[in-house]
Amino acid sequence: MKAWRYFLFTWILVGLLTGCGAHRAKRNLIVLLPDSDGKSGIVTVATKGGSQILDRPGYAVEVEDINQRPTAPKPAKEEEITNVFAPALSTLPNPARRVTLFILYFERDSTKLTHKSTDLLMEMQRTIKSLNSDEVYVVGHTDLVGTEAYNDRLSARRANYIRDLLISSGIKPNSLFVSFYGKAKPLVPTQDEVAEPRNRRVEVIIR
Amino acid sequence: MKLSKNRKWSLSLATLFILLCTVGETSLVYASPTIATVQKVVGTASVLRQGQTISATVGLEIWENDTLRTGSDGSIGVIFNDDTLLSLGPESTLVIDRFLFAPREGKFSIALRMIKGTAAYLSGLIAKLAPDSAHFETPTASIGIRGTKFVVRVEG
Repeated sequence: MKAWRYFLFTWILVGLLTGCGAHRAKRNLIVLLPDSDGKSGIVTVATKGGSQILDRPGYAVEVEDINQRPTAPKPAKEEEITNVFAPALSTLPNPARRVTLFILYFERDSTKLTHKSTDLLMEMQRTIKSLNSDEVYVVGHTDLVGTEAYNDRLSARRANYIRDLLISSGIKPNSLFVSFYGKAKPLVPTQDEVAEPRNRRVEVIIR
Repeated sequence: MKLSKNRKWSLSLATLFILLCTVGETSLVYASPTIATVQKVVGTASVLRQGQTISATVGLEIWENDTLRTGSDGSIGVIFNDDTLLSLGPESTLVIDRFLFAPREGKFSIALRMIKGTAAYLSGLIAKLAPDSAHFETPTASIGIRGTKFVVRVEG
């Protein structure tokens, strides 16, 4: 009797171990980190079994199996971040600013900048001048209120307005490349005819 | 006006040249395949490109479809044209399936596929301009990215 029980115990132990081994074969660990401003973005982790959203810096999810939903986010262990990820983190390049982005926002149906964006405008003009770039992309957009044709024209007027402002502040016209997309490429996807201030924008990309 | 053969030919060439100059779209005349450059290398690291293995050195240009690989003592740091930062720790393999950063055409896309190891990722402009176009895959999971920094380990 004693021998049998011992046997059973050993078998289960072995079973558990190999079971763990098979699971661990492709186990994933994903940790969201704060960026240099201390803020973080959002990461969605999806398997065939479901998904989880990571939106708190320092939190992690694990993926055990392709058919299982990832584990719920929980704080990552400090030592894990340090031990496991130290080499990768130390080799992450310093941000080199090869390209700079400004997004300017507009009032409804208008080429009038919002208050915040008017302040941003001056900073943007200074940056473009100091970078002395030959390639500045000015891209106009609208939200989904209105027809395609109307918004094509509105986004073009917005982009041209910014272009004119940049030229009048001394930036070389042939360094500016203007394009516009009307309501076709919202930053924040919405239903048609939904007003969304974050879509009423001009993106200025400086290389 | 009657032109000799030579004249016709040089006139056509001249016209073509002028046309190319005035279009102002540099990509028509010259399109670099470079989508990223290596900024840091520690130990053994290489790039697999169309069957060829290239030893990774600082300044090496990276192309779409390249596979980044590190040895047991290696790590590598790479910066993409949109300022996305990516690094791999030791014993890691990652494939760059897609990278497109074309602000004028409004076309943005980045898709990285990790086979194994550890990686750190800090998103650049593509995740800010087109959040739905930034993807990071592992053998079991799909990671969608919106303007962010994360680390990922794939065992295997």
